[in-house]
Amino acid sequence: MSVQLKINGELKTFESDMPGSLGALLEQLGVDAATVVAEVDGVIIERAKFGSTVLRGGENIELIRFVGGG
Amino acid sequence: MAITAEEFKAVTVNNLGPAVWAKLNGATVAVAGLGGLGSRVAPALARSGVGKLIIVDFDIVEASNLNRQDYFADQLGLAKVAAMRDNLARINPGLALEAHNLKLIPETICSLFASADVIVECFDKPDQKQMIAETVLARMSPKPIVSASGLAGYGRSNDITTRRLSGRHIVVGDFVSASGPGTGLFAGRVGIAALHQANAVIELLINEVK
Repeated sequence: MSVQLKINGELKTFESDMPGSLGALLEQLGVDAATVVAEVDGVIIERAKFGSTVLRGGENIELIRFVGGG
Repeated sequence: MAITAEEFKAVTVNNLGPAVWAKLNGATVAVAGLGGLGSRVAPALARSGVGKLIIVDFDIVEASNLNRQDYFADQLGLAKVAAMRDNLARINPGLALEAHNLKLIPETICSLFASADVIVECFDKPDQKQMIAETVLARMSPKPIVSASGLAGYGRSNDITTRRLSGRHIVVGDFVSASGPGTGLFAGRVGIAALHQANAVIELLINEVK
C-alpha cells in the first residue's frame, strides 16, 4: 500500500520505503538532522524528538535546512 | 563635535514621524551573534531608532573578520560585544544596550531574550542556526525570529530573498550558498543578507509587534 507525505509543498509517495519516523525520513533524504528545523502539520518538532516522531500518511512536513555562513 | 541623545531623538522623530518613532523607540530587539550578519544588523537597527538592543557574542575581533564585519583595525582583540558597544554608542548615544559576552544555549536564549520583541539569528554555523530557530519557535511563542541561511560568495544579489516560512519565522538568504573551502564570505553578499534581516525586523516592529 502506498503512502503519501507532503514535504515542503511537494507530494512524495512511499511504497515499502515509508520511513518509520521523522528522523528516518531525514536519513532517507540524506539531510543532516543537526541543521534542520522541522514542522509536522504546522507544529514544530524539536530535534531531540525526531527519532520518536512517527509519520502518518497525509501529513504535511516542512523542513528548513540551514547552511553555514554569517 | 558629537550630538546628544536628545538631538538624535529629535532628528529621528522628524525622520520617522511620531507614531513610527514611538513604535521603534519602544521596541527591544535581540541580535544573536555579532559576526558578518550581526555586526551589520545591530548598527542598522540603532540608526533606525530601535530603542533597545540586546547583543550577544562570545568571540573577539580578529584580523580575518575585517573583510566583512563592521569592526575597525584598532579594535582587534576586543570582545565583539565590547567593540560593538562602542560603535553603537558612537551611532546613537540614546540607545539602550544590554551586552552579553557568552555562547548562547537554549536556556540562555529563553532567559536573556525574554523581553525582546523580535530575535535576529546572526550565527555562522548551521547547527547553531538550527538551535536558536528551534528554541524560539518551540519555546518562545509568540515571539518572531528572523534567520539567515545561504549568503556565501559574491554576485547573485537578487537570489537573496526575505521569505516568511510561518507566522513567526522569516528567513533571509538564497537557502543554498554555504560557506566552506573555496566559497568565502564577502562584505557585499553577507551585508545584503544582514540588511534584509534589519529591514524585516523594522517591518515586524512597525506593522505587527504590539
